[in-house]
Amino acid sequence: MIEVENLTKRYGKTVAVDDLTFRVSSGRITGFLGPNGAGKTTTLKAVLALIRPTSGTTRVLGHPYRDLDEPVRKVGAVLETSRYHTGRSGRNHLRVVAAQSGIPRSRVEELLELVAMKGPAKRRVGGYSLGMRQRLGIAAALLGDPEVLILDEPANGLDPAGIRWLRDLLRSLAQRGRTIFVSSHVLAEVEQIADEVVIIHRGRFVAQSTTTELAARVAAGVRVRSPDATRLRDVLFAAGMSVNRLDDGALAVTDGSPERVGELAAANNIVLHELAAEKATLEEAFLELTGGETTS
Amino acid sequence: MRLLAAEVLKVRTAPRTLLGLVLGLVGLSILGAASVASGADETPFGEEDTRWDVLAVGSTAGIFTLILGILIVTWEYRHGTITQTFLATPRRERVMASKFAVALVVGAVLSVICVIVVLVTAAFWISVDLSGSQWRMVGRLVLGAALWGVLGAGIGGVLQSQVGAIVTVFVWFLVAEPLIGVQFDRFADYLPGRTLDRLTAREEVAPFGDGGWSFGIAAAALLAGAYALVVAALGTASAVWRDVN
Repeated sequence: MIEVENLTKRYGKTVAVDDLTFRVSSGRITGFLGPNGAGKTTTLKAVLALIRPTSGTTRVLGHPYRDLDEPVRKVGAVLETSRYHTGRSGRNHLRVVAAQSGIPRSRVEELLELVAMKGPAKRRVGGYSLGMRQRLGIAAALLGDPEVLILDEPANGLDPAGIRWLRDLLRSLAQRGRTIFVSSHVLAEVEQIADEVVIIHRGRFVAQSTTTELAARVAAGVRVRSPDATRLRDVLFAAGMSVNRLDDGALAVTDGSPERVGELAAANNIVLHELAAEKATLEEAFLELTGGETTS
Repeated sequence: MRLLAAEVLKVRTAPRTLLGLVLGLVGLSILGAASVASGADETPFGEEDTRWDVLAVGSTAGIFTLILGILIVTWEYRHGTITQTFLATPRRERVMASKFAVALVVGAVLSVICVIVVLVTAAFWISVDLSGSQWRMVGRLVLGAALWGVLGAGIGGVLQSQVGAIVTVFVWFLVAEPLIGVQFDRFADYLPGRTLDRLTAREEVAPFGDGGWSFGIAAAALLAGAYALVVAALGTASAVWRDVN
């Protein structure tokens, strides 16, 4: 559906994307994750034929974007840099986009309705808030009712209600079989909606897997609390687990399951006040995979 | 056709810019025509000569269509709408071709507006009953303005920066060409600005006391057309090859 093959893009001596290969499959939401400056935008722009790769190829729906017939009807894109002629009204902006692709004007009104922008549509874009501009960008991307939707940091500038609206919109589009590829440097945004994630870091491929698989890849731990913490620690340690005492007095155990910890405690007559499997969050997986760099 | 319609829509929906250009052009045309025509009594050559001078005011449109041509391309880069445009039409040469067509047509329209305003203004002082060769000059004015438009769009494509392109054309046409003219008299006649001046000049009269032009109107039309084509080709190549950031 979206294929990136050995993509490399250099700007002078800087390598923005380095031999990147991955494939986004159809009919699902795929997150595109990486810290700021990881090369996400560059990759998306190469996919959309806005920049020329130094080497490598990209394809959408089996073809280079440049060779798509009526691309707006097949691929919708919301780029981080979506910008507008500030003197033009929101409605006229959409009309220009529609005119370029032979989309009827009535569709413009439908989209204004969908993104709840009917009211401000006749005002100049120059006076819009970031959130309104983002909605207008999403409307423009959806004008051609495309099969594939590519969004670069779409949540930027949206308030919590806007982010929720966006999430619902993307979910409903995915339910109708659309392929959605959405980049973000904030994992939490993507975690809730994506079926799968592609992670890159410093222009290189890091991982691709479903969100659940990814979290499972990071060692899960056990949280255990006991009035006899010191003895429990020694017992678990002797059984080959690594144990750390947490600030609240509980122990964080890795390399062990809750079952095993419970059995050992019982065998040694140690009272437990709490025993829980700690699931590694995607956030932790993400941080681990990208070398612990802060994400924003 | 669809691309052309979209380009026209872009010009139409940026009303302030277009309105500013048209108002500026109309204002300058009225001013120029009035000052030339009102002096008709004082010239010993009578109305016929004044009519030629009034017509020459019609070349004012050139600078406006040049700027409009630049804007048609560079405002998309400046405002970032070029991204959307190239997403809709990734074959960028088609986008550029339709921009050249719009620059050509809008340039011609601006020129017609300019000539009408000039003639109507002059009519307050003199008769504006044009002779055959004067009508032909009107035709050349329109052709010249249209070519200025294409030239502007081509320069816009090459430089992509709005301020950069406007500064460049002002430096080139107002400073560089005249300086080259001082240094290499005849050679300068073949530069784009002078060629377009020749195209829109009165046929038989020398611009300076001694020499006159190096070539005729037909040659000027061909050369100006060639300049427009070459610059348009360079602008297209630049738009096609350069990344959109």
